[in-house]
Amino acid sequence: MFQLELVVVGIVWGCTYAMMALGLTLVYGLLRILHIAHATIFTLGAYIGIVVANNTGSLWLAFPAAMLAAGIVGPLIYRLVYEPILQQPPYVALIASIGILIAMEDGFRIIFGPYGLSFLNNPWFTTIYDFGGITLNLVQIWMVAAAVILISAFALFSSVSRSGVAWRATVSDPPIASSFGIDVIRVRYTSFFIASCLAAVAGVLVGLLNNLVEPGMGNIVSYKGLAIIVLGGLGNVIGTLIASLALGVIESFGTVYLDQVLDRDAIAFLFMIIVLIVRPQGLFAPK
Amino acid sequence: MELYLISLATVAALNVMLAVGLNLISGFCGQISLGHAAFYGLGAYAAALAAVAGGPFVGNLVIGIAVAALIGLFVGFISLRVREDFLAIATMGVGFLFLGFVRKQNWLGAEMGISQIPAPPLDRIGFAALCVGLAILVIILSLHIGRSWMGRALKAVAQDEDAARTIGINVPRFKLAAFTIGTAAAGLAGGLYAYMTQLIVPDAFNFVQSVTILAMVVIGGIGSTWGAVIGAIILTLMPEAFRFINDYKLLVYGALLLLVMRFAPRGLAGIASSVVTRFRK
Amino acid sequence: MRFKFPGLAALALVASVAGASAQDVRIGFHVPQTGFAAADGKSALHGAELAVEQINAQGGINGRNLALVVYDDQGRADQAQPIANRLLGEGVKVVISGSYSGPTRAAAGIFQNAKIPYISAYAIHPDITRAGDYVFRTSFMGEVQGRAGAKLVGDFIKKKRVTMINLNNDFGQALGAGFKEAAPKFGLEIISEYNYGMSDRQFGSIVASVRRDNPEVIYASGYFFTAGPLVSQLRAGGVKAIIVGQEGYDTPNFIEIAKNAAEGVIITTSLDRDSKDEEMRAFIDGYEKKYGVAADMVAATTHTAVRVAADALRRAGTEDTAKIRDAIANGKVRAATGTIVFNELGEISKNVQAQIIKDGKFRHYAVIEDPVLLAPPTK
Repeated sequence: MFQLELVVVGIVWGCTYAMMALGLTLVYGLLRILHIAHATIFTLGAYIGIVVANNTGSLWLAFPAAMLAAGIVGPLIYRLVYEPILQQPPYVALIASIGILIAMEDGFRIIFGPYGLSFLNNPWFTTIYDFGGITLNLVQIWMVAAAVILISAFALFSSVSRSGVAWRATVSDPPIASSFGIDVIRVRYTSFFIASCLAAVAGVLVGLLNNLVEPGMGNIVSYKGLAIIVLGGLGNVIGTLIASLALGVIESFGTVYLDQVLDRDAIAFLFMIIVLIVRPQGLFAPK
Repeated sequence: MELYLISLATVAALNVMLAVGLNLISGFCGQISLGHAAFYGLGAYAAALAAVAGGPFVGNLVIGIAVAALIGLFVGFISLRVREDFLAIATMGVGFLFLGFVRKQNWLGAEMGISQIPAPPLDRIGFAALCVGLAILVIILSLHIGRSWMGRALKAVAQDEDAARTIGINVPRFKLAAFTIGTAAAGLAGGLYAYMTQLIVPDAFNFVQSVTILAMVVIGGIGSTWGAVIGAIILTLMPEAFRFINDYKLLVYGALLLLVMRFAPRGLAGIASSVVTRFRK
Repeated sequence: MRFKFPGLAALALVASVAGASAQDVRIGFHVPQTGFAAADGKSALHGAELAVEQINAQGGINGRNLALVVYDDQGRADQAQPIANRLLGEGVKVVISGSYSGPTRAAAGIFQNAKIPYISAYAIHPDITRAGDYVFRTSFMGEVQGRAGAKLVGDFIKKKRVTMINLNNDFGQALGAGFKEAAPKFGLEIISEYNYGMSDRQFGSIVASVRRDNPEVIYASGYFFTAGPLVSQLRAGGVKAIIVGQEGYDTPNFIEIAKNAAEGVIITTSLDRDSKDEEMRAFIDGYEKKYGVAADMVAATTHTAVRVAADALRRAGTEDTAKIRDAIANGKVRAATGTIVFNELGEISKNVQAQIIKDGKFRHYAVIEDPVLLAPPTK
């Protein structure tokens, strides 16, 4: 029973990772860029969400507000920072992304203060459900629900709708895709938009789960997100999802059983390095 | 005031060793490493433990170099199996693993770190001179490598690994050499750092530190020894020179990284060489 | 008397009113204003500035104003050393650390060598005071507070079965060590122990484990940004055990995060919100008035450090740093966090306050008075 509870906890964590990692893998699949600054979108979403929620008293408004802000800033980062340097060696985009991360984290601290913000009203956190001995609060349930809904929606979109198919084509082979008339640029913007919205939702939910929104909250999630997309096979969506859930569960058990041996955050990277040594292309071969 | 300048010079010398070493790996050889601080830490911890156990000054520094280089060699082996982006994340992972491990081991001081490291057998000025001298040695070594056959092989590997292989360059050997030498330099800096502060804690060797070292290389101009040196000196002096931006320090620093990458990706060395080329026309 | 140069006189008047810096007594102060420790740095700076303001309002140092020379060390040892050297170059006679252990210990050696008295406001590493006789600490060592926690659980809360949840950093490690050392003396049984890291905010698996262990008391170390989420999640997970924390919880931010979950949490600290002691009140009320938020422990202990330095400067009445150091060492200062007396190592020996959160506020719970148990090391 206890082990089952650990699994459930791990799945909730895995859903957060999945929402972040999906965005990272989208961007990588398209542009071969490690979008570390994605952490910043996560944090931005959380801050906008909490400011709106605290000022309007409505949690439901927080999500669209966060998604709107993220949906603008994410693609903006692409347009202003990544697009002009696409022809440069990969480390250029990487360092630029890190620069954005460092600058915006300090920016959040300067604007919102170093102490962090808390939700004045957090009814979802205090609404608790008991599933035969395993307790989950509404935020955790929403975390799983949001991940399932949003990611399924994306999967549907990419296999059925024209833009979705266009996306998959662009990822596989941009020149051929554009020779077929696919607007590669629009696909990119769409991808950044989707990735950023997912991150914003994750950000607000994590803010609710911790009841704390802080300037640096995106960092660890982003670093682990990178480890996850490597594990999943860079650019491979299904692989990323499986790796996210797997990591969540491993961390859940590791926190309890391995805490004398290894830091929780290091577990993700240990897992990743072992996999890289054994299977350098990731757990799931790239599509 | 001189004490202040001396301590600044010492820190700058250590940063130069770190940046030049990383430049060998990431610049000369194109293997992007986001975990260089781990080797800094390995050198520091190894030298510190040896020093606390009573070993001689020089011997302890050598131990620091050896440990860092050994693990560097191992990471080099990993780099053989994975490429480019994977490697960046893998090296980031190495950094987190190092810290995660050290934090939990009591014999490594765990969270408390290693303290009461004996003072170096030199006074402050002498120690600073030693650090600067060693930094100069590292620079000379790097310049030599750059101009030698080895340097050209490394650059070929950086540009196009497969092509390099076809003209008979033993790619693995050169990658391993780059990692070993680069991390050895970091290990040396680490040992000196332990003697400088006499207390080392895990936090000093975290991801932010790795990024800082990479920033020095990149702003100076990746691939250029002198670029790495200038980058190291600038980033060491910057917080001092800009105390008035105290509260906005990290904001400015992040923006600087971003702007340099966006507008001058080849760094200061790149700017310098394009100015020179334009002059020659 | 007739002024020969009325302009000059006017200038002098303006200058003295504006607090000309040539006249000020300057204390060095390094603090993490940016970086991972910026939250504590902000509190520390506020506490110090409040102290300076209050001291100057009461006549300053023998008629001269007190002023802080502030530097941001980002919470890093390699930033602290150049700053230390810089402060030496600026000729300050006393320095206070408003920062964490890494930078403080690195700077301590430098100040000891230069024979400048150095007071650590809240950094807890034991080696800091071992740097020499010029180094002092105005906060509890982690081990001492941990031992106090054990007595609190055994003698005051009167429970035996304890689960420990430790923060993985020097503070958490020291607290845990002290608690475990003293636990047998009070008949405590530590039934389980868990660890977490500074960046952890989600404790689902630990909560599940604690529920299974079913302790009577949870001794959890942390800072408000970890303890807040931890305590909320424990209560949301149905854990009813009494939660005991320490100074790291002692800030209004903790209550803001944990809300109702914070009710009934007991902590060891040095502030007593219900205190009638004038020094404590002057700090608590003065802080709220100046900054509009309730005070916290980091601010309090930094405030105390400045008070101790100012008191010594006043009594020494000289710029001779050896005499200033002696004045600190022999002083007995009544400050916001209690009466400060140093032992030969430069550590303080005083009672530990215990506070409980009732109706969303910190209230008096107990005073732990046990000089033998709470004695800090002497070397």
